[in-house]
Amino acid sequence: MDISSIILPLVEITLAGAIINASVHFVPVGGAPAAMATSTGVGTGTTQLAAGAGFTGLLAAAGMAAQPGIIISNPVHALLIMLSGAVGAMIMLGLTMLIGQLIYVYGVGIVPAADKCDVDPITKDPQSAFITPGTTGHGIPTVCFVSGLIGAALGGIGGGMAYVGLLGLGFTIPAIAGVLAVGFFFMNAVLASYNIGGTIEGFHDPKFKKMPNGVIASTVSSLVAALILIGMSMGL
Amino acid sequence: MDPTLLTLGALALAGAAATVSGCAEDLESDVGSQSNPNSQVQLGPQMGNIHRYFNKAISGEPVSYGLYVAVAGAVAWALMNGGYNPILGLIVGSGVGAITHGAYSLSAYLGRIVGQSKNFNQPVYMDVISTHMGPIMGHGFIAIFTMLLAAYLATLALGNPFPLPLVALIFGITVGAIGSSTGDVHYGAEREYQKYAFGGGIPVANQGDIDIKAETGIRNGLDSSYFCSRLGGPLTGLCFGLIIFLDGWRTVTGNIIGDLMGADLVMKAIIAIILGTLLVIGAAIINRKVEVYARNKYGPYK
Repeated sequence: MDISSIILPLVEITLAGAIINASVHFVPVGGAPAAMATSTGVGTGTTQLAAGAGFTGLLAAAGMAAQPGIIISNPVHALLIMLSGAVGAMIMLGLTMLIGQLIYVYGVGIVPAADKCDVDPITKDPQSAFITPGTTGHGIPTVCFVSGLIGAALGGIGGGMAYVGLLGLGFTIPAIAGVLAVGFFFMNAVLASYNIGGTIEGFHDPKFKKMPNGVIASTVSSLVAALILIGMSMGL
Repeated sequence: MDPTLLTLGALALAGAAATVSGCAEDLESDVGSQSNPNSQVQLGPQMGNIHRYFNKAISGEPVSYGLYVAVAGAVAWALMNGGYNPILGLIVGSGVGAITHGAYSLSAYLGRIVGQSKNFNQPVYMDVISTHMGPIMGHGFIAIFTMLLAAYLATLALGNPFPLPLVALIFGITVGAIGSSTGDVHYGAEREYQKYAFGGGIPVANQGDIDIKAETGIRNGLDSSYFCSRLGGPLTGLCFGLIIFLDGWRTVTGNIIGDLMGADLVMKAIIAIILGTLLVIGAAIINRKVEVYARNKYGPYK
């Protein structure tokens, strides 16, 4: 194994970890309070929603990588694998947010409203008057939806990039590359979740400013993970 | 037969199986009270609401369903590689997954309820266990079997390179994330708090003040499942089914359009990516329409 075939996967896996961490900060999750329509966002945990979307993207990326004629070392093909992952993750999160929204509006009877901004930065709709007193918003207003789509796209790109890096390292059996990619994704999603500390509404949330800390943590841990993976690929 | 037709057929069947799976998964989590709304069931006795809800939070719903379906997938995969009929493998695997689910549910119920008995006088109702375990494991079996069937079709006919247990794990995590994000909101924000007027979120001060009375008599998890089967469950199923179907549909359609144009692999992939992006934009537009509808229909709080 020459040095060039090590450096590129090393960079890809390290960068993928940073992108996955960044992606989680965009996903609007309200945790348990959102399940009671007490806070804005999707009513589940940060890591779990990001993982659900990221893994759907990983399936899409792996499906693309397995197509006959795809060559991992070809940059155009590698880009297509990552974009397929991005679109797969966006479809998962987009539909989940949409169906969640239908339940909030028709099943619970609330108006989607963000608590962390007075006016939706995209639609310019005022928000505070539509929030149930005693809660910190509810539902998935447009700014959260768009932020979630950006997060899903980044998560899918990150997952696809890690998968491409693993294939490049010689983990060409999809089962092994897939298991490693799943573990790698969880590692970075959990780091991001610790950085967020509960709930986040999206890129307009003040907590979003903490993102650089999480990205640095993931870059370091992903670099270490990449070095271990390189050792594994060399049979150490 | 034309391979494209076979792929489309497998895709439709996988989408249908995923739809049933999502619905059963959500209704199971309503009977057993798992996921985020379980925090309210746990809080109930501390607020003076002695209840007859089943109470389990084995872990986050995505991880627990990932476990059950991965167990089922591993057993099925082992049987298939041992030369047994794939259908038999899927059924036996799902049965093992359902038993695993039952074992965790029982221990989670006893652990959580007993933890509240001493300080908050919450009794352990043995009849709640006997009446709820069947529906929990039954709904769980349907969810696991249909998810495993969708995963099997993904590996067999839809070009997924991962082995069955890994696809099963990923599908389990995904369906848990979807059920937790969609259908459980109907249970947590509406069903548990029906005594509060429709049309608002649950203020922090009211959390734990869950309904303990049903339409007739004392409420339990089966009543919640009945209520949520009218909106939360079906929509959860629709969500998972659409995700499986549309993500596969864009690839198949990209290949069909590419073949008609005489395009190469790269162009087919680009068409599939563009189709997927259009689907996402469509979802964003519908989301905005629903938001505007709610703002106009319900108006601000006064």
